[in-house]
Amino acid sequence: MALHLNLLHEEFQEQRQRQRDPLKIGMMVLGGLGALMFLYYMWNAYQTLGIRNRLNAVQSDWSKVEPKVTSAQKRSAELNSIIGTTKVLDGMIESRFYWAPFLEKLSRCVAMNAQVTSVDGTVLDDNRGVNVMIEGLAAGREPRAAAEELRQLLLEQLGQSYHDVKVEFKTLEDLDTLVKIGGANMAMARFSVSATFNPTATGKAAATTPRTPKK
Amino acid sequence: MKKLNLSKDQIQKLALSTIGFIVLLYVYFSFFLGPLNKSRNSMMVSINDLQAKVAGSKNEMTKATNLENQASAATTRYAALTKASPEGAPIAWFPPRMKIFFSNQQIDKTTARLEGSVPYKEAELSGWTRHNWMLDLPQTDFSTLGKAIAELENTEPLLSIHHLNIHALPEDPQFQQVTLNVATAILKR
Repeated sequence: MALHLNLLHEEFQEQRQRQRDPLKIGMMVLGGLGALMFLYYMWNAYQTLGIRNRLNAVQSDWSKVEPKVTSAQKRSAELNSIIGTTKVLDGMIESRFYWAPFLEKLSRCVAMNAQVTSVDGTVLDDNRGVNVMIEGLAAGREPRAAAEELRQLLLEQLGQSYHDVKVEFKTLEDLDTLVKIGGANMAMARFSVSATFNPTATGKAAATTPRTPKK
Repeated sequence: MKKLNLSKDQIQKLALSTIGFIVLLYVYFSFFLGPLNKSRNSMMVSINDLQAKVAGSKNEMTKATNLENQASAATTRYAALTKASPEGAPIAWFPPRMKIFFSNQQIDKTTARLEGSVPYKEAELSGWTRHNWMLDLPQTDFSTLGKAIAELENTEPLLSIHHLNIHALPEDPQFQQVTLNVATAILKR
């Protein structure tokens, strides 16, 4: 067997050591990794730029729409307020008590032989009801009957339009004075009638045939 | 497996490379990728927010248009009701208005006195005030009064009579003296 002598083994070992230098390998790895990271960063930056462009476009859209939206919101609030106020005012208007129809009914109940001297009416708070005090004079052969007729007529008339109607005498007293009606002397009575009713709900129509005052 | 024999110098270089690697990662994530992602995320949030606003604005504008159409009756009615409250203090214009009104109804010498004014409890009527007045009609007859009250109730929708007193004049029972307590809703000016 031939003997081989490697006189360059030291050079070879140095070369191998240079190739296996951890710092050099590390730097190469770091460089590669750095390049990858840079590429990844650039990709992200590119995407971010795209997003920024989208944001600018959306902001531009919004800046065009915003004044219109603000004014629309303002107008909506204003309209809602108007609708609410009108609704409440209409409720107040519809729920108020109308005195004219009541006075018309009262005038229908007063016969020739009766005279109303005072009417005092009050609408209770929140339109819960109406109280009316009616004072007057009735004349006739039986003046109390004339006053009673007025009371019953009033009860009937009010019952046609209102609810929970009560018409009651507070006072009914004969007077000494006589009055001439149709050439005949008639006795007189002073009466005071209290009428209470609820105008908010329509009352049931009176079952009996409507009466008319005797003229 | 062949054991890796590293010299002291090589170990130092390896440690230096590791430190360099760690520093590189820290700098990359803290000063480059981190802020970029943060900015991107905040932009995405802004975009979503604005897109939602733009989409909502379309609904809002459609709603406002529909409301405008639906509220036309209410706005006309409201305009008519506010027209009943002229400019100026109510005490300056309401008594003359009543005087003229009753004068047109053949009832003269009407006087109107302000008894007080209170705000409404309802939140919707925060811009309105309730004024209580006493109207004194010194001489009228029943049928004229009835017609006048009917006309008043029909032409003054914001006026309500809450107390009425009619009594015959002692010297002339054919005529009556009338006192009306009325409340009016008047727009604050």
